[in-house]
This record gives sequence, C-alpha cells and structure tokens, in this order.
Amino acid sequence: MIDVHNVTKSYGAMDAVKDVSFSVEQGEILGFLGPNGAGKTTTMKMITCYMPPTHGTITVDGLDVVNDSMGVRKKIGYLPESTPLYEEMGVRDYLNFIADVRKVSGQERTRAMDRVIEVCGLRKVIHKDIHELSKGFRQRVGFAQAIIHDPEILVLDEPTTGLDPNQIIEIRNLIRQLGESKTVIFSTHIMQEVQATSDRVLIIDQGQIAAQGTTEELKASIAGQMHLNLVLRNAEKSVFLEEMSSLDAVHLDDINVQKNGDLEAALKVDTGMDIREQLFDLAIAKQWKILESSPSSFTLEDVFRKLTN
Amino acid sequence: MSEILAIYRKEMKTYFNSPIAFIVISSFLVITNWLFFDYGDYPFFAINIADIRGIFDYGAIVLLFIAPAVSMRLISEEKHQDTLELLVTMPISDMHIILGKYLSTLAIFGIILAGTLIAPISISFVGDLDTGIVISSYIGFFFLGATYLAMGLAASSFTRNQIVAYIIGIVIIAVFFLMNGMANGSGLIATLFENLSIRFHYQNFFRGVLDTRDLLYFISLIFVSLFISSTALASRKFR
Repeated sequence: MIDVHNVTKSYGAMDAVKDVSFSVEQGEILGFLGPNGAGKTTTMKMITCYMPPTHGTITVDGLDVVNDSMGVRKKIGYLPESTPLYEEMGVRDYLNFIADVRKVSGQERTRAMDRVIEVCGLRKVIHKDIHELSKGFRQRVGFAQAIIHDPEILVLDEPTTGLDPNQIIEIRNLIRQLGESKTVIFSTHIMQEVQATSDRVLIIDQGQIAAQGTTEELKASIAGQMHLNLVLRNAEKSVFLEEMSSLDAVHLDDINVQKNGDLEAALKVDTGMDIREQLFDLAIAKQWKILESSPSSFTLEDVFRKLTN
Repeated sequence: MSEILAIYRKEMKTYFNSPIAFIVISSFLVITNWLFFDYGDYPFFAINIADIRGIFDYGAIVLLFIAPAVSMRLISEEKHQDTLELLVTMPISDMHIILGKYLSTLAIFGIILAGTLIAPISISFVGDLDTGIVISSYIGFFFLGATYLAMGLAASSFTRNQIVAYIIGIVIIAVFFLMNGMANGSGLIATLFENLSIRFHYQNFFRGVLDTRDLLYFISLIFVSLFISSTALASRKFR
C-alpha cells in the first residue's frame, strides 16, 4: 500500500531522514517508534505530500507522492501532530468545511457526518465551538476530520500526546477499530502504545531505521537472552564462578558478595536456554540455598532504549 | 472550482462570525464619508459642486490601512493555528487555496463598494453627476482595492504573526502607492517610478477614461501578488 524507497530528506546540511526504506501492507497497522526528533514527523509529512523527499521515492497505492500528489492526498486521512483545528469554528462547521474541500457531498455527506460523529463519539460536542472543547475532544475532532472521506490510509502523528490515561485508551481503541478496515501508520514515542495497537513496529532513530518487525520479533532479535538475578546463601564466590564458567549458555554480568556473605549474581542466558532447573540441582549438590531467582525478559522498552541510546 | 468555493465559504463564515467584517466595513465607510463631506479646506458641503472624486481620493488612503486588516489573517492565522499543514495536504492546490481566500476579501470589498454608493446616489438627487466619470472612477477604485487586498494577502503569507502581516501589508502598498514621488525630474528613473506607482495609474480613471494600460497595470500587480502568496505556501517544499 505504501512504499518508501531509499528516502532522504535534508534541511540544508542536516539530514532529517537518511536513506529510509520500508513498506506498509494493506490493512496493516504500523507503529512508528522513535525519540523526539528522530524523523518520524518528517517521514509522515513526506507520505502525506506536505513536502517531497530530497532523494528517493514514495508511492501510495502505486501513485507517486510528487507526480500524483492529488491522487495520493485523496487516499489519505492525516492527523498532524499539532491537531489542526479552527478555534473560532463550530465542530459541525469545521467538519463540513473539510467535507467541502474533500468533495464529500449530498447523501454521502450526511452519512459521513453520522459515521464520524458515531465513531469518534462527538454527539455531545457537535454543536459546540472548537475553542470550548477539552483536549480529548479536540483530538477526537481531529480524528473525525481525518476519516470523514473514508480514506483507505490513515496517517496519525502522535495521536495520543497530551491526553490522560483514559483518553489514551479510547484513542488506542479507536486506532485498532479503524485499523480493521484501513491501513494505518501512527507515530509515538511510547512503547506500550505500539505494543497495544500495532501489527508491526518500525523503530527510527536519528533519521534511520534502527529495527523493524512485529513486537515479538523485535524482542527476540534484539533481546535474545534472558536475564536471571540470583541471590545464594552458603555459596563460595570462587566455586560459583567455576561452576558457571562450565555452563556454555551462561554469561556472568555482575557478581558481588553482600555484607552477610550472601552471593548476588546477575546472569545472562542465551536464547532458548532455561538453566533454572540445572541451577536448582546444582544448588542441592553444593548445598547452596537459593534465596532469590528472578528471571527478567527484555521488554520492547529495553529494545527501544538499547537501539536509540 | 468547488474547492475554491469551499475555502471562500469558510473565510466568509469566519469574517462574519467575528466582528472583523463589521469593524472594517463600518470604519472605512464612516471615515471616508466624513472626510469627503466634512473635512479639510474644501469639504463637499462647502464647495457645493456635484463631484464625488473626494470619495476616491480619501478612500484610497483610508483603504491603505483597511485592506491589509482584511487580508492579514488569511494565511498567517493558518500558520499560527497549524491548520495550514492540514490545508495543504488535502486535495487542493496551493493556488486554489489562495484564490478562495482572495475571493472572500473581494466579497468584503464588494460590501464596502456598495456602502460608498450612498454619496453618488444622494448627490444625484440634488445635483448633476457625470455618470460616465462615476462609473470609471468606481472601476478604478475596485482595481485599487483588489490590488491592495492581493498585496495584503501576499504579506500574510510571509509570516505567522497577524500584526506583522498587517504592517508589512501597509508598507508594500504604501511603497507602490507613493512610488511616483520617489524620483524627481523627467529622467528615465523618474518615468519608470511614475509608471510603476499606483497613484499615477489610479488618477487616470477620474478623467472618465478606461485605459488598458492602467487596467493591465493593476491586473498584473494582482497576479504577481497572488503568485507570490501561492509560492510562499509552496516554499515548504523547497526547504
């Protein structure tokens, strides 16, 4: 549906996006993850025909964003980061204006209005002026604007920024609901959001793609290992080290002896290996007492931090 | 075409949902009519001649301050509210956005023009107006206003601050208006400046003559101003 091919965007000497390539399949929800200033917004602005790439090509449903700009714009519903609303307009006037420009008219207009009021939950505020609305409702009006022409593709730039936790969940549900029938790209710098809503994640940092895949794939590929934190009583450090070095799958991250003589160790265990049973047997044989054994697997957050630090 | 009208309708709604339209229209009419009927050494009531040229002389000056106030918000407010990004990513060309907005300012100006008819209509009851000159003067005044508004729109496209847009607008218009006084004598530069000045071309309309050179002058200023505005919108692509 969307093909981004070797795209670079330069502002003067600075490259905001460097040789980025990815594609989004029809019906997919792609989460765009990255720290602020990573190039997420720039990439979205190029897809939505706000500005052209300096190098490379972007096609949307086969149409080039530069040569077929008008065709691309018709297919896309776009919610920019800043939630563009005309403060002095009423909600209905605003949506009517967007429908006007997008040539949604007659019967189709009436149906579209009913649909977006329903989907975005605007019934209570449809007669209000936009400047009277709370942040959450403003965001929903922004959504309504983006879907009034029932576009095939939705581009949402940080749609949950500045909302409270309840509103965030509402918006995520909305994204998931819309994603059932549409191709969605949305950006965020919040990890849980991607995990909660998207089929696929693209992590972008300093203008380049740092990783992409499903959330599971990402965790597996980057994380790879399981972490295990151990606290043992009656264990000699030298004996413990000797035993651990005999296990191939285990790498010692950190070890120290506490004041009361307990041994505290952080282990890294290779992908797919589980040494917890082995450790248990070993502890019995050596008469160690396991006070604590807590595995921790990588979260997407760790992946993100590791990639973007 | 329909998207031009969509922009036009939205702007008209904004003008009339706020006091802007009322304020600019009424202040123009009040100030201009007062200056014409009752101000200075030769007010209409004192000289007792059925001539409404004063309306257009004073009107040109008053409009210099009013026209940029009409157009100052058109682009700068879109920039300020970040709505421009939405507008230029919808299926509408930059030039159509500009045209829709420009049309709305012409509509406001149309109301102002209609308001100035009070003077010629009332005078025609008590004196003998030269209808031909009145009509050509009105055509001149229309092109003058249309040019001011286009320049004001261009000024608005340079900045996200309405006050800045207003002042830039006044400066651009004033420079073109007064250009004929910038060089003295009869040299090439003086002639050039005179021919580039709004006042020089504007005056011709009061003789009751429509000269295509004058019309072309105003039309090209309008065209260039709109083109600059549209280019300013498109400048996002070249950064």
